[in-house]
Amino acid sequence: MAPTKGAAKSKSSSKGDSKNNKVLGSKVNKKNLKRPPPKEVKSKARTEKSLLKKSKKREYTEAELDLPKLNMITPVGVVNPKGKKKGKTFVDDPEAMMTIFAMVNAEKEGQIESKIMKARQLEEIREAKKKEAEARQSEKKSKLENAKESIRQRRKGKSGDSEGTKLSDAAKADESKSKSSGKRKSVAFA
Amino acid sequence: MRPLTEEETQTLFKKLAEYTGSSLKNLIAPLDNSPNADRYVFRLSHNRVYYVRLSLANLATSVPRDNLLSLGICMGKFTKTNKFRLHITALPILAEHARNKIYIRPNGVMPFLYGSNVSKAHVATFPDNLVEHQGIIVCTQDDVPLGFGITARSTAEARRLDPTAVVCFRQADCGEYLRDEDTLFASG
Repeated sequence: MAPTKGAAKSKSSSKGDSKNNKVLGSKVNKKNLKRPPPKEVKSKARTEKSLLKKSKKREYTEAELDLPKLNMITPVGVVNPKGKKKGKTFVDDPEAMMTIFAMVNAEKEGQIESKIMKARQLEEIREAKKKEAEARQSEKKSKLENAKESIRQRRKGKSGDSEGTKLSDAAKADESKSKSSGKRKSVAFA
Repeated sequence: MRPLTEEETQTLFKKLAEYTGSSLKNLIAPLDNSPNADRYVFRLSHNRVYYVRLSLANLATSVPRDNLLSLGICMGKFTKTNKFRLHITALPILAEHARNKIYIRPNGVMPFLYGSNVSKAHVATFPDNLVEHQGIIVCTQDDVPLGFGITARSTAEARRLDPTAVVCFRQADCGEYLRDEDTLFASG
């Protein structure tokens, strides 16, 4: 649109008014500069083939994605090392086998040793606990025996009409109990 | 038939080391001191591992893979999860280099050969310094190997057990020669 406007103005200037002409002349010069012809940009139809064709996305293989494998035929325990060269390296010379054997044996010995140590420690703890339990048991038993003895002595004392011989703690406790409950009830038959 | 890979050798030795002591290295030692001495090797065929003389193994390469049923002593087989399972056929080798042995009474021999675990009542002698879950060879009182198993309890614990309690879990016994006759030697 702009070039057509300019052309119209130049026409009007040629009719008169030199001042105006001067100013406009510079404009015309600018306009007259050679420019590359504007390229036509055709808007493409949406249904055009190149637009319809989707740019190809990179497809990843399953191995590249490294997804956890589920319900595959290969059992869980079998893991093929990634990025390793295919094929097997056989161990057939006796030296290599000996080294493997020595390694395995040392590992096994260590395991057994640690197991023995652990078992020994556990055994010690168990022994200590057993001793403690035994000591507690014997203490309990001796206490019971003491109580029995005291009761026996009391009975003996009663039978011999001597009330003053109350030695054991249990007996004392018994006495205090009876005092706290008040006068001892007694039934007398006339 | 092929030699074992490094990983397979390790798995096999780990299993063998459960039952045997350090004398196991005599298994793979050369038979004499000459430079080209014959020796025993392990060979894998149809997932089974065979303990075989090298000279024999070399001869066996002329037999097609499918036609070769067995050679040497079958030690056991690799499972599909790449673990190793010892077969009863390996018993003579294990018994020779055994780390521990348990001797069972005559009244416990038949129950063991029928596939049951060893109970304390059947044990004649139990070695000292045993830990639980350790490999052990089961023998009669005449030192005839009957099978092998895994200890259920340590020595100290086993002494406190009641007679019916299990002291050794059976892994393999000689009764398998009859019971598993169909599958024991069938390859594939």
